[in-house]
Amino acid sequence: MAVALLRLLAKRFLIAVPLIFAVVTLTFVLIRLAPGDPAYILAGDAPSEEFLAQVRHTYGLDQSMWNQYIAFLSKAVFGDFGTSIFYKKPVFEIILDRFPATLLLTCASMTVASVLGVAFGVLAASRPGSRTDTGITVLSLVGYSIPTFWIGQLLILAFTLQFKWLPGGGMVSPRRNYEGLAWWSDVALHLILPAAAMALFLLTMIARFTRTAMVDALGRDFVTVAKAKGASERRVLWAHAFRVAVTTTITVMGLEFGAVLVGAVLVETIFSWPGVGRLFYDAISKRDFPLLTGSFIFTAVIVVMVNALTDIACAALDPRLRK
Amino acid sequence: MASETIPAPFTVPAMLTRMWLALRRFPTSAKVGAVLLLLVVFGVVFAPLLTPDDPMALGTPFQTFDWTHPMGTDDIGRDVFARVLYGGRISLTVGLFSALIAVGLGLFVGLASGFSGGLVDEALMRVTEMFQIVPRLLVTIVVVTMVGGSIANVIFVIGILAWPPTARIIRSQVIVVRHEEFISAAILSGASYWRLVFRHILPNVLPFLLVSASMQVASAILSEAALSFLGLGDPSLPSWGQMLQQSQGFLRQAWWMSVFPGLALAITILALNLLGDGTSSKLPGAHK
Repeated sequence: MAVALLRLLAKRFLIAVPLIFAVVTLTFVLIRLAPGDPAYILAGDAPSEEFLAQVRHTYGLDQSMWNQYIAFLSKAVFGDFGTSIFYKKPVFEIILDRFPATLLLTCASMTVASVLGVAFGVLAASRPGSRTDTGITVLSLVGYSIPTFWIGQLLILAFTLQFKWLPGGGMVSPRRNYEGLAWWSDVALHLILPAAAMALFLLTMIARFTRTAMVDALGRDFVTVAKAKGASERRVLWAHAFRVAVTTTITVMGLEFGAVLVGAVLVETIFSWPGVGRLFYDAISKRDFPLLTGSFIFTAVIVVMVNALTDIACAALDPRLRK
Repeated sequence: MASETIPAPFTVPAMLTRMWLALRRFPTSAKVGAVLLLLVVFGVVFAPLLTPDDPMALGTPFQTFDWTHPMGTDDIGRDVFARVLYGGRISLTVGLFSALIAVGLGLFVGLASGFSGGLVDEALMRVTEMFQIVPRLLVTIVVVTMVGGSIANVIFVIGILAWPPTARIIRSQVIVVRHEEFISAAILSGASYWRLVFRHILPNVLPFLLVSASMQVASAILSEAALSFLGLGDPSLPSWGQMLQQSQGFLRQAWWMSVFPGLALAITILALNLLGDGTSSKLPGAHK
């Protein structure tokens, strides 16, 4: 098993490294492709001649294209994405500062999505063709079609403005200096709506794919054997069928993780959640290109890593995938 | 047999009858999708007939709805109903043309990959995999921010990044078809490479291409809306995403600024997904 897993790890590595390389290269090409002098892009609006010359020198824009590329690449490898035009701080520092908020939001929404998604998927598959099954299938298709940013606004309209139950913006209540447990429960309260908005898309994906995988698994011989041996329905569903279907669920989560992070850009924008997604939006609206490209490379690297990890997790759970 | 009731072929009624018979066999979900989509397309195409209002004309802000403004007015008094109708033109245009690019590229890569096999296949599939791992919308957002958000740019960038799912579906179908006997027969009868691809392989993957296309249109519309929502679209043209961006600041005053464009967007995407989903359940080898 260990050898097979190591081989898989090496294989994933061989995909991940060129991919990250491609992302960094794409970013470099984009900076060059953007209309206008990249020095202006990097220096922001209306810079002085002096500052422009300085920017040209720091970014090596006065050197050959090839040297520029090498310099860009070697800096990016060490997490040096330049200095944010707006915040006047190293981009990597800002991102690391914001990352915990995004991590919290992402983990919360993925947890909700996977628990409910699996529950709905298994429930639908346990009675294929029944009203419950049809209902869950239709609902998941509807949920899948609702844009993340619109559901975010609807949640604010309903639960913040109409019923006044939950806060619809920020991560903590302003002007309340909570500490310890009170701070955490305040954060948890602020987390509910954005996490729900972000979870919806993934939830429907997980429900759909888990259902298909479960229907498939429930038709297999080992399920018939388990039933013949007198295993309870719950045991057949969870210990036998879901044990096989779980790799599909994990694969979906891994594949859609990127989409979830993009969802974070939209959700954090709507709910003023102080994470990397909101930072991304700030970078877009302020045309802060070092911040934009830095957050892009950072996010892409995380997505690639999570993707590799899910493949390895699946292989660890399912011996058939260890080829 | 029903064929006796069908009028002579190649006349308009005959073709309509055959289309109707084909449609009738589709599952309810696909039919609901088709009807919803027709409604949306009708509303968007015939916008000038459905509303006398100009989507850009200013008026009294934050009016709730009455007969003159069925969906109220926005923060600078523009008619929301007119903006929803005209805004759909951007969404549908971008959706259609981006999907054309994506489906065209995907078809080409899928055919090349599935039919050639070997090293070409291996190389193309590695590239496809790479494209699928990095979140597409994220790349789209970054590229459009850098190169500018004109409608042509948006169409091109969305389209050129969206081909991998189509390529994968087409590839897997080409591989299935490639081993059929009629292909061997065609090869034996001396069919050229291109004849083989266009006359024998392509017609067999066409249904899969259509399903993939409807999913591609949905995903392109969603991408365009997200771009506009982030303020990256063309500011001079109303679009659903842009309307949702504007409504964000006025949720407290005017819920209708958010609800109606969002509803239009969600219905359009739902229609396309229903259509694609329902149709794919009728394709050979589909899961139940």
